[in-house]
Amino acid sequence: MAAWALWRSRDLWWVRALARLGGRWSFRAQRRTARLLYGFACTEAQSELELRDAARACPDVRRQALYLRHALDEARHARAFAEHAQALSRLAGGAAFSRPSAGSEGLFERLGELRFLAFVHAAERRGRVEFETYATLARERGALGLAQLFEELIRDERQHEAYSARLLDELGGETEGPRALAFARRWQAWRAFRRIGSAGSGALFRVTMLSLYALLAPFALLWRLRPNRRHGFSSEP
Amino acid sequence: MAAILGISGLYHDAAAALVVDGTVVAAIQEERLSRLKNDPGLPRRAVAACLRLAGISPQDLDAVIFYESPYRKLERVLRWLLESYPRSVRHFSRALSVQLGSKLWVLDQVAELVGVPRARVRCVEHHRSHAASAFLLSPYPRAAILTVDGVGEDVTTAIYRGNGTQIEPLGSLPYPHSLGLLYAAMTAYLGFEVNEGEHKVMGLSAFGLPRYRELFQKLVTLHADGSFELCARYFEYEHGGELGFSADLEHLLGPRRRPGLPWELATSSSDQRYADLAATLQSVTEEILLALARRAKRETGEDTLCLAGGVALNAVANARVAREAGFSRVFVQPAAGDAGGALGAALLGAIEAGDPRPAAMQHAALGEQVSVEHALGLARQLGLSAERLDDPARTVGELLARGSIVGVCSGRFEWGPRALGQRSLLALPKESQTRERLNRLIKQREPFRPFAPAVLAEHAANFFTDAPNDLTPFMTSVCSVKPEHRANLAAVTHVDGSARVQTVTPSATPLLAAVLSELNQHTGAPIALNTSLNGPGEPIIAHATDALAFLSAHAIDGLLVEDCLFRRPN
Repeated sequence: MAAWALWRSRDLWWVRALARLGGRWSFRAQRRTARLLYGFACTEAQSELELRDAARACPDVRRQALYLRHALDEARHARAFAEHAQALSRLAGGAAFSRPSAGSEGLFERLGELRFLAFVHAAERRGRVEFETYATLARERGALGLAQLFEELIRDERQHEAYSARLLDELGGETEGPRALAFARRWQAWRAFRRIGSAGSGALFRVTMLSLYALLAPFALLWRLRPNRRHGFSSEP
Repeated sequence: MAAILGISGLYHDAAAALVVDGTVVAAIQEERLSRLKNDPGLPRRAVAACLRLAGISPQDLDAVIFYESPYRKLERVLRWLLESYPRSVRHFSRALSVQLGSKLWVLDQVAELVGVPRARVRCVEHHRSHAASAFLLSPYPRAAILTVDGVGEDVTTAIYRGNGTQIEPLGSLPYPHSLGLLYAAMTAYLGFEVNEGEHKVMGLSAFGLPRYRELFQKLVTLHADGSFELCARYFEYEHGGELGFSADLEHLLGPRRRPGLPWELATSSSDQRYADLAATLQSVTEEILLALARRAKRETGEDTLCLAGGVALNAVANARVAREAGFSRVFVQPAAGDAGGALGAALLGAIEAGDPRPAAMQHAALGEQVSVEHALGLARQLGLSAERLDDPARTVGELLARGSIVGVCSGRFEWGPRALGQRSLLALPKESQTRERLNRLIKQREPFRPFAPAVLAEHAANFFTDAPNDLTPFMTSVCSVKPEHRANLAAVTHVDGSARVQTVTPSATPLLAAVLSELNQHTGAPIALNTSLNGPGEPIIAHATDALAFLSAHAIDGLLVEDCLFRRPN
């Protein structure tokens, strides 16, 4: 119980601080707000798919229904965020966003149910804290529609946080539940590190490729000097 | 005798198909299971499902065939990066990252994914896969085969002669002269998503007139030998254009339509202009396809034609080819796009292994079965009411006759992008208000998009011209609604009097056939509006879990899963 109590009392100050920083930057311009909301829409869409996977793969029909209900909520959230993003982007004369979509990582299958639940619980908790921060910021800026959107979703997030905690208790008990939560924290940190690493190596790859591209100039010239390309039907397969 | 798995993926429409001893045991698009529309990954879940359905393990597979050659594809990409130097600078890094990062190693990835030794995995040509998917499952012993799509390796269009189990290549058109890419670029220009909105352009075209033929002559030149050329300056495939068209296209045709804006065809002259552009594109596409089909006829001398490739999903163009190209019969396999490549690859592998040619395709129910027991257990937890029915077709028929919208989940799900009665939403075809209700409650489609009718095959000729034919069981063609029936079929008749008809037989789709017979008793016409069981932007339902999630999220009047009718609480 001590481990659980410790987990629940942990203050996610860093999530709040980052959200405050990001929110202040994004809410200054409609286009940036639209991009932020569209990002949320994509995250919620991905979350929906993970939960649908869980609902299909889970052996217990009661938990299947819980995951499915959660998935339907996430789909609704994705739609709400996408609609808001679309409206804001239109107001700002920006480009329209495509329908939010993101593939599932198959987390239920990869992590197993207990760790998956811990991951869901931690993500919902983080999401709720972020949304609370954004709602406050939006109210401060007089963006009442936006504040209302976040506040409506916070209610769902609380409920998701509660049911996932209950299931964690039920499946993991006093020792395995907190252990799974600790894993979820470590794993999340590792994923964040990998994302940053991947962005860095991506930039390095682009610079290397640009240099290679410059070196290709003589070959491109030679290519241009060859006889004209064929047109019309060829008998080659 | 062999077990061969075919795979398509890493572009769009990932799929797997399994042929065992010359019989197609399963064919599944990944999107149905991953719930990600046009899933562009590798078909992990579809492979597992195919093996499960056949009751075999990866070790039992004699070969796994990927539907295109990654090496020839890389060669084409490199060639075009040089060709369009220095304009390809934006595209270079991304193209190499995609090619070298994953696509080049796809055969190794497939071996790992399936769980077979690398030596058992090989690839075939993209267009050959398409050709095999259409011809080897067609009812014709011999046929001309025409494959037309965006691009496969370095070919965009190919003609073959099919004879028994042999598929002989006769000619091809090189990239970038591509009917598929022309259609895709114009789809983006009209504000729709590429690889998703092409059928919307087809629907929109009926609302316009082909007024812009002169301008299109600058975009594409059709030659007397049936070949065609795209004018490169208007397109941007090879040097990084996100949309596939260049600024020159906007100079020629006017500004592109912004995506996401509501369509106002009745009141907006600019939307009417876009409809006219769509009509011109459709008309040019049909003429090119006709010229290609006529060339295929000249070259092969055959009397029947098999069409495949993404362009063969253009039901309006298929109907025109069937009418005017000089063939007595035409066949298009339901998953004519890239997903179909998985099936074609598996069939080619099976033929190579010495297996006989499979029987002609009679139905598309090649996916996984829905479980009513699972649905019952889950519905209880979700608070949905359930009622076991003695005669499900009768109850659904009665509900439809009263104006209800009913979802149907029966047997194994369909192969391909069309709902053919296994995972369908059914309604009465009579009132155009039905169309509006469907759109308001569920589909949220653009107002110009038509819904399709399903009709008992034996009665089809009473209501539609040219039906039934080899295309209509799979909804790959359109037919004209006879003028005297248009008022009674308002919800499924397009503005030009056409309908994308599905002809239904009891042997192929028993439940839908029984529902249509029941409807005949009530309304005097064995016809229902049949649209896919999915929400906007979602893949069609596969399993009971998806079906009950759909029922929970959408206010339809009932959902039949096999013999059990589920409803939302009042």
